[in-house]
Amino acid sequence: MAMTATYGHAHADPHHLGRAIEHPGPAPKRIVTAYGFWVFLLSDIVMFSCFFAAYAVLVGQTADGPKGSEIFEQRNVAIETVCLLLSSFTCGMASIAADVRNRLWFYLGMAVTCLLGLIFLSIEFREFADLVSRGYGPSRSAFLTAFFSLVGCHGLHVTAGVLWLLTMMAQVFAKGFRADILRRMMCFALFWHALDIIWVAVFSVVYLLGSGV
Amino acid sequence: MLGKLDWSAIPLEQPIPLIAGGVVLVAILGVLLWVVVKGYLPYLWAEWITSVDHKRIGVMYVLLASVMFLRGGSDAIMMRIQQAIAYQSQGYLPPEHYNQIFSAHGTIMIFFVAMPFVIGLMNLVVPLQLGVRDVAFPTLNSVGFWLTATGALLVNLSLVIGEFSRTGWLAFPPLSELTYSPGVGVDYYAWSLQISGVGTLVAGINLVTTVLKIRTKGMSYLRMPMFCWTTLASNLLIVAAFPILTATLAMLLLDRYLGFHFFTNEAGGNLMMFMNLIWAWGHPEVYILVLPAFGIFSEVVSTFSGKPLFGYRSMVLATMAICVISFMVWLHHFFTMGAGPDVNAIFGIASMIIAVPTGVKIYNWLFTMYGGRIRFATPMLWAVGFMVTFIIGGLTGVLVAVPPADFMLHNSMFLVAHFHNVIIGGVLFGAFAGFTYWFPKAFGFRLDETWGKAAFWFTFIGFWVTFIPLYAAGMLGMTRRMQHYDVAAWRPWMFWAAIGMALLSIAVICQITQVVVSIRNRDALRDRTGDPWDGRSLEWATSSPPPVFNFAFYPDVRGEDAYWALKQHAKEQQLEHAEPEYQDIEMPRNSPTGFVCAFFATVTGFALIWHIWWMVILGCLGAFATFVVFAWRDHDEYVIPAADVAAIDRANLEERRNLVSMAGAV
Amino acid sequence: MSDLTHHPVQHDLAPGEEEIHSVGERIVGYVVGLGLALLLTATSFFIAGTNLVWQPSIPIAIIVLAIAQMGVHLVFFLHITTGPDNTNNVLALAFGLLIVFLVVGGSVWIMSHLNENMPAMDQIMRMQ
Repeated sequence: MAMTATYGHAHADPHHLGRAIEHPGPAPKRIVTAYGFWVFLLSDIVMFSCFFAAYAVLVGQTADGPKGSEIFEQRNVAIETVCLLLSSFTCGMASIAADVRNRLWFYLGMAVTCLLGLIFLSIEFREFADLVSRGYGPSRSAFLTAFFSLVGCHGLHVTAGVLWLLTMMAQVFAKGFRADILRRMMCFALFWHALDIIWVAVFSVVYLLGSGV
Repeated sequence: MLGKLDWSAIPLEQPIPLIAGGVVLVAILGVLLWVVVKGYLPYLWAEWITSVDHKRIGVMYVLLASVMFLRGGSDAIMMRIQQAIAYQSQGYLPPEHYNQIFSAHGTIMIFFVAMPFVIGLMNLVVPLQLGVRDVAFPTLNSVGFWLTATGALLVNLSLVIGEFSRTGWLAFPPLSELTYSPGVGVDYYAWSLQISGVGTLVAGINLVTTVLKIRTKGMSYLRMPMFCWTTLASNLLIVAAFPILTATLAMLLLDRYLGFHFFTNEAGGNLMMFMNLIWAWGHPEVYILVLPAFGIFSEVVSTFSGKPLFGYRSMVLATMAICVISFMVWLHHFFTMGAGPDVNAIFGIASMIIAVPTGVKIYNWLFTMYGGRIRFATPMLWAVGFMVTFIIGGLTGVLVAVPPADFMLHNSMFLVAHFHNVIIGGVLFGAFAGFTYWFPKAFGFRLDETWGKAAFWFTFIGFWVTFIPLYAAGMLGMTRRMQHYDVAAWRPWMFWAAIGMALLSIAVICQITQVVVSIRNRDALRDRTGDPWDGRSLEWATSSPPPVFNFAFYPDVRGEDAYWALKQHAKEQQLEHAEPEYQDIEMPRNSPTGFVCAFFATVTGFALIWHIWWMVILGCLGAFATFVVFAWRDHDEYVIPAADVAAIDRANLEERRNLVSMAGAV
Repeated sequence: MSDLTHHPVQHDLAPGEEEIHSVGERIVGYVVGLGLALLLTATSFFIAGTNLVWQPSIPIAIIVLAIAQMGVHLVFFLHITTGPDNTNNVLALAFGLLIVFLVVGGSVWIMSHLNENMPAMDQIMRMQ
């Protein structure tokens, strides 16, 4: 484009409003990647909303099986919640460490995040195993179907997150804090924090409201 | 060891699918053999299969859609023949086979024809129109394409191994539950849609990010070509709606595989929840398909009328209004399920409201044509044909949006005629218009006009001969999906529909001839300037086919109709510009990630359908390993040296100067 | 797309990116977020199990607290704010939330009407 090769016009802000009025061109990779992942997260949240809708519709359909208040244990849920909240915090610390390229704090933050995630998963797994062994598996009633799917879907996401976390640590170990790895770390942090938000909805809607019903 | 899979899965006692499958298999093997013998395999692997170039991926999407169009079209021909002869007789298709055919026809036409066709065109054109070098996530783009292809492969595999779903294109429970559909048909359906759904979601995320974050300098939102706007709206809908489909099918699969009770009749399950969720995806889906078509028509009408698009801002507003309202009308697909008058009324009103922005668009196109110097090239014919057809389809849509009327017409042939009227008249005409319009851009030569016009007229007339009778039969009370019937009054209409189907088949033959003839005459049809239609947007500012980097420089956009303004400017200045300073360009490196990933997805999908659990684990591990290997690579870009860029760009500019000086002479 | 094209111009913020860059301030942000989140969670759990408040208000209180906590997470952990360079991120979020609201709200509304008008077989049995 000979006629369009006007690279150097700098006054995109003739009125000095402090913001460029002309569109500046393609965004840098860091913004593009994070934005794409943000859009993915929103789509993931829409997927969760279907399971929430199914839970809301089916919560009363216990088919003479147990109701929520008979099977939920507040203490376990409280521990799970604290684990996830703390892990979100440590994940934030790991992102800061990655940004300032501090390996020690990065590994420490990620390891603690991983540990807290695993504790969460093991508590959830014990809860599920206990329910199934008492005959309250997902096939028992539509309510339990919806409960297991919604909470299990979040659990699967946490599992995937842990897998991603370990891969991330291995990558930083092997490659250091390269630009592309920092972008991935940013996406991972978004993912982990978003799971926390979904968990807030899960414990509020499923466990707290569900045990009140 | 092999789960449910054994020799009984091969339908040896059913000649039709076996022969069809055999023919397809022989064709595929023949093509493969030809490719290997001719030594094209390394070229195909390096330049197409592993390509992360948005243009090539777009072309492959369209190719996939075209091949699947032939498959879905064969199903349509078989159905029309069956209904034409199955008056007081069994026809030639037994019920279980007929049911598979109408299920496969709907599934294939929506998911593996319409979707890949529009996604392919968006992939091909949007980065060019935005004046940039690639989409936001090139490798992910390739992954998305290959996952879509995996879904298509699994659907076709069901032809020869096992069976396809017999439950209609949306697999309504309880029929689709394990109790009533114990075979693998529904599993084929659900897993292929899950896998291709991931591919579609990836494509949606990619294109949303591209439009919002990757535009050339000066390309502010209100300077984007209309097609970019409709792409944005359509892909926002993909991102918001496809997760709903994924969740709904996941619930159905949990019911079938693990004995859950989402939609069963027992233990408190609620099958109406399936209708509710699937249509919460299903209605936005039709707008996902038709919005890009609206964009194509906007480009075509404005180009061939030689005028800027009338009411650009109202068009943008209408597009975004449709994007949001399309999420508020889904209940009109199940008015008859008994939600009661207040719910039905609100969704009925919302359904009628969505006709308003669509009407705005129609008027904008008409006013764009008004006073323009219209050239009736093939793309424009499709656009005008669309306006006529789509208005009638839209009006019958408003008719069935009235709940009392819908109670009469629900599940009848009238409905079948209505949605074919909007999907063929809207999406398919749009796809064909886009195909002929952008073909020169993709391949460097135009398509033969005579055969293109023949294809249009046969499609247009064939469409009406096929579907007017279906409206009539629906009014006479004929319900959809009938394998045979005993009402004499329906018979002539079914006969006429079959005649129409024959015309539509001739139209398809014309399309194929058009492509073959054009390839043979490609030197005569060559597009040397990159601007065969006197276009207005930036895709015409580069050569045909564009170089891998699309633009040597990011074009600097100063207003709407960016390229039109550039051309006017250039004519005034006689293109006397100093040679610009070319720079190195970094482009993403090709990667087999998409193909390998799809291979493992195919393995996993197949294993899940047949309950071969060790293979499922193997497939998942393989897919994970693929991603880790991809994440581990050190060089994801290569550099095109400035000298090469300069050579390519100078050649293009030379042709273009000739064009401008000739135009000046005239 | 490539780093070559990184002009020194103002771009939007990436989702999750913070405007402040000093490590100390960033850590303080996370600490405040964690504190608020823990506080809101504790309140939720307390309210769910207590007899001290008017019972019918409990579900509403829990939902309000949950929404507040999601807001805290968005601001302090995901750094989604209302700044001008965050417009795209917020718009995407708003669109996503609209869809979530339509899907959940619409489903519950439609399904409750369906259940009312067409009760399942066992419910009809029970009514008789």
